[in-house]
Amino acid sequence: MAAEAAPMDEKAKRMRDLLSSFYAPDPSITTSNSSINASFDNINSTSFDADQYMDLMIKKSNLEVLLQRHVQMAAEIKNLDTDLQMLVYENYNKFISATDTIKRMKSNIFGMEGNMDQLLQKIMSVQSRSDGVNTSLFEKREHIEKLHRTRNLLRKVQFIYDLPARLQKCIKSEAYGDAVRFYTGAMPILKVYGDTSFQDCRRASEEAIEIIIKNLQTKLFSDSESIQARAEAAVLLKQLDVPVDSLKAKLLEKLEQSLDGLQIKPEEASKLVEHDDSSNDTESNDQHPAKIHEDAVRGFSEAMRAYREIFPDSEERLFKLARALTAMHFENMELYIRKRVSAADFLGIFRIIWEDVVLMDEVLPEAALSDLSAEAAQVTLKQFVARTFSHLQQDISDTLLKFDINQKEAVEGEVLKVILEASQKAVLQGTTNIFQDFRQLLDENAGIFIKMRDLISGWIQKGFQDFFRSLEAQFLVLSGKTSSSNDIEGKSSDKIHAGLILVLAQLSVFIEQKVIPRVTEEIAASFSGGNSQAFENGPAFIPGELCRVFHAASEKLLQHYIDTRTQKVSVLLRKRFKTPNWVKHKEPREVHMYVDMFLHELEEVGKEVKQVLPQGTFRKHKRTDSNGSNTTTSSRSNTLHSDKMTRSNSQRARSQLFETHLAKLFKQKVEIFTKVEFTQESVVTTTVKLCLKSLQEYVRLQTFNRSGFQQIQLDIQFLKAPLKETVEDEAAIDFLLDEVIVAASERCLDVIPLEPPILDKLIQAKLAKSKEHNNNNNNNTVSS
Amino acid sequence: MQGGSSGIGYGLKYQARCISDVKADTDYTSFLTGTLSLKEENEVHLLRLSSGGSELICEGLFSHPNEIWDLASCPFDQRIFSTVFSTGESFGAAIWQIPELYGQLNSPQLERVASLDAHVGKINCVLWWPSGRCDKLISIDEQNLFLWSLDCSKKSAEVLSKDSAGMLHSLSGGAWDPHDVNAVAATGESSVQFWDLRTMKKVNSIEHAHVRGVDYNPKREHILVTAEDESGIHVWDLRKAKVPVQELPGHTHWTWAVKCNPEYDGLILSAGTDSAVNLWFASASSSDDKTSESPVESTRQRVNPLLNSYTDYEDSVYGLAWSSREPWVFASLSYDGRVVIESVKPFLPRI
Repeated sequence: MAAEAAPMDEKAKRMRDLLSSFYAPDPSITTSNSSINASFDNINSTSFDADQYMDLMIKKSNLEVLLQRHVQMAAEIKNLDTDLQMLVYENYNKFISATDTIKRMKSNIFGMEGNMDQLLQKIMSVQSRSDGVNTSLFEKREHIEKLHRTRNLLRKVQFIYDLPARLQKCIKSEAYGDAVRFYTGAMPILKVYGDTSFQDCRRASEEAIEIIIKNLQTKLFSDSESIQARAEAAVLLKQLDVPVDSLKAKLLEKLEQSLDGLQIKPEEASKLVEHDDSSNDTESNDQHPAKIHEDAVRGFSEAMRAYREIFPDSEERLFKLARALTAMHFENMELYIRKRVSAADFLGIFRIIWEDVVLMDEVLPEAALSDLSAEAAQVTLKQFVARTFSHLQQDISDTLLKFDINQKEAVEGEVLKVILEASQKAVLQGTTNIFQDFRQLLDENAGIFIKMRDLISGWIQKGFQDFFRSLEAQFLVLSGKTSSSNDIEGKSSDKIHAGLILVLAQLSVFIEQKVIPRVTEEIAASFSGGNSQAFENGPAFIPGELCRVFHAASEKLLQHYIDTRTQKVSVLLRKRFKTPNWVKHKEPREVHMYVDMFLHELEEVGKEVKQVLPQGTFRKHKRTDSNGSNTTTSSRSNTLHSDKMTRSNSQRARSQLFETHLAKLFKQKVEIFTKVEFTQESVVTTTVKLCLKSLQEYVRLQTFNRSGFQQIQLDIQFLKAPLKETVEDEAAIDFLLDEVIVAASERCLDVIPLEPPILDKLIQAKLAKSKEHNNNNNNNTVSS
Repeated sequence: MQGGSSGIGYGLKYQARCISDVKADTDYTSFLTGTLSLKEENEVHLLRLSSGGSELICEGLFSHPNEIWDLASCPFDQRIFSTVFSTGESFGAAIWQIPELYGQLNSPQLERVASLDAHVGKINCVLWWPSGRCDKLISIDEQNLFLWSLDCSKKSAEVLSKDSAGMLHSLSGGAWDPHDVNAVAATGESSVQFWDLRTMKKVNSIEHAHVRGVDYNPKREHILVTAEDESGIHVWDLRKAKVPVQELPGHTHWTWAVKCNPEYDGLILSAGTDSAVNLWFASASSSDDKTSESPVESTRQRVNPLLNSYTDYEDSVYGLAWSSREPWVFASLSYDGRVVIESVKPFLPRI
């Protein structure tokens, strides 16, 4: 208590202490507490000794303090006095009110006992009366109850006797439900007394029930009845203890058979889709196939719903059925997209299937049909995407191979140009179509698609990546550069027209520069979502890599084109140099015809190149010059050259070799093998350079007599003019032609070049002849 | 040869086509080369790489009666070699011996051991038994293949057997299989043909046009490398000779010669008429897997097989030889008569 009081203010605490000491039965308890912490000078403790305190005070304090203490004590005493007075007054007040209350109670209780006695008496009399009434009515009541029981029994007997008739009536009115209820109600009695008292009755009613069962079964099987009715029939049959399992099996089989009708057959699929355009005119005809299909599926799902209610234990079977239908749908879909299908058609079928699935899903939510179909749809969609790409690739290669470039007039006409343009268009149009198709896929709002949007984007990106890669591979196969594993022996490289290779090269450039950036843009614009799931492998579509691949491919193909072209010339030259015996060559009479063939090859290259490749920035102005002026320039250079030759001839060959070496050192090293560019000029120049280099190499392998050397000299001299006309890098051509002459002179036993006038004469003769030939040709073409 | 070239050069007086490694010389890395000059006195040079590998010393200089089209050193006797030569009108082949104590003679003459005179046509090359001491030789002209038995002591050579390839094939060169001494490959106009020497019959062929050079891989059986005019270099597996195992781009112009390194498998050297020598690495393992891989995969994983291109030549390079003693050294010979020795050591760690 003392501890609790601690936070209180001084006055309140003292009051409490005072009061407690006043009321405390044993003052020692409280005082002993306070005496512990209070010293003996504590005025409130019981052990307080006034005298001692006085002594202490006097001893300790001076007068002033004592006086002060006195005043203080007096004030405290006065305070205490008033407090006590207050207490006494309050307690006294309470005493008075308590006394008043007790007085009032005494007067109220007085007289209550009499009333109580009266009440008791009355209750007693009521009880005796009721006993009397009870005894007097007992017998009558017993009687009534007995009668009632008899009546009930009689009614039951009556019911059983009436049962057959009633059942018949029910059969007539087809109220099978009531009939079954009656029969099952009567069943226990019939079972017990059926063999004795109610024998006839039982037989009659069983017969009736037999009929009922039969009717019910027919009802159950008849498709014309409503599902509701059939379900009821099934329930009733079950109540009649008829074995329903076999019935169920039969019914489900029937349902299964109906699945066939629900198939979307690939060949009918397209019909299903064209609902918009044909809906108007088919009103009079049969219903539209899509509608029919929808109704059929609706019917199927209704049936499933019904069966599910009828046979709750058949769920598994139904699940299986529904799954089978879904699976079948998707299988058919796969068959369907094996042919070319537009995205719209594809979506149309997809939508129908999805509707079917939703319908079935409503009936059988536990079958997880939507999950199943989502999976199947993923597979199908993926296939669809892949197939679309392979179709595009097929298209492109078809376009490339559509034209028969092996025809003779191919080189004359613009076939290559046509092919190039057509294939460029095919690639562009194809990719655009693909984007359109796939955008449709993305815009489709059917349930599955929303979930798969990311996936689709990923597939499309990956599809493009793979598509371009395989396209590149196919280009290489088409060009004969790499033989595909399938037709190793199939196509030899001879069969592939060189022009096609050129077209492929240019097409690769086109893809690198135009198509891939466009595809990249499109993907960034519409299909960027798919990256999230493909992050582990990096983004699926890597335009940089593809550009690199196609860049490499284009260079490879161009190189291959040049190779095949030079190879042809090479064969020509090889034959030319292998056949004659150069050591016993006769004097040159005319320019050898291989030069014509060589020039003809070059002309072909020029024509092909002109159709396919763009012109370079460097244009020759000489091109417009007439033929005549060209010959004059060539003859001038020719004299220069022959001067040099005669000079070298007069010297010893050893010094001649030295001289050529020296000349090479001082001559600016001519870059023969420069990088090929995608221009008409560059390709032609490279071809010419390579051919001339080959010519030089062939020359180096032979040994010539004087006439052989002169023949070479003549041929080369003749080549000079037309080559310079076609080629942009004149210095290199000059150098190479000189090299051929040098090589021939090195391999010649007796170097005496032709005299310039003779050379000129022979060349002029050849020019005249070829002009005549040309004229003839022109005339022929004009006349024809 | 100036500027950045690591090669050691040596100039012949005249133009030249052929260079051969002296295989039997176990003390030094040496090469034999011969000039090709129609009108001048031709020479055979015996070149030796100094022990420091920094200099190419002319050990011996011998005059040769005709211009040399092919030269091959005997694998068991360093002093013996064969040449194919031309007088301008006709071709011939002979076996020569470098005289003993040639250093002490003023103008040493080559001793003619034997002439392979049975040929009438244009002889292309003489092949020595690939390794070890065996006195068998093969010479190839445009239509025929001769197997010779050489007797050095008697100074004679006999024709053991011969076969004709037919008029149309016009053989151009060949190689002796180091794994099967009974097999010889010869290059022709339109195919590479294989002979079994026991029966001297053609057993096989690869239909591939314009093959210039051919070499067996000495480290792996059945692997053959060919060099073609336009289409670069092809690696073949003779067990499935329909399609090449690997294709290397080759040179800008013709690829003239191709040589497999005798020690490092897959290291291939090619010389071309674009005045360059290219060092390739045809990874043998990847070439096996490549067939199973999808083409897309293989293009992605394909690393550049070109290790280095030596372009410091002034003219077409026809002669090419690895050193068998120091297999990282090769000698190349350009048409202007310049021998260049290069070391491929900087590229070895990458293999």
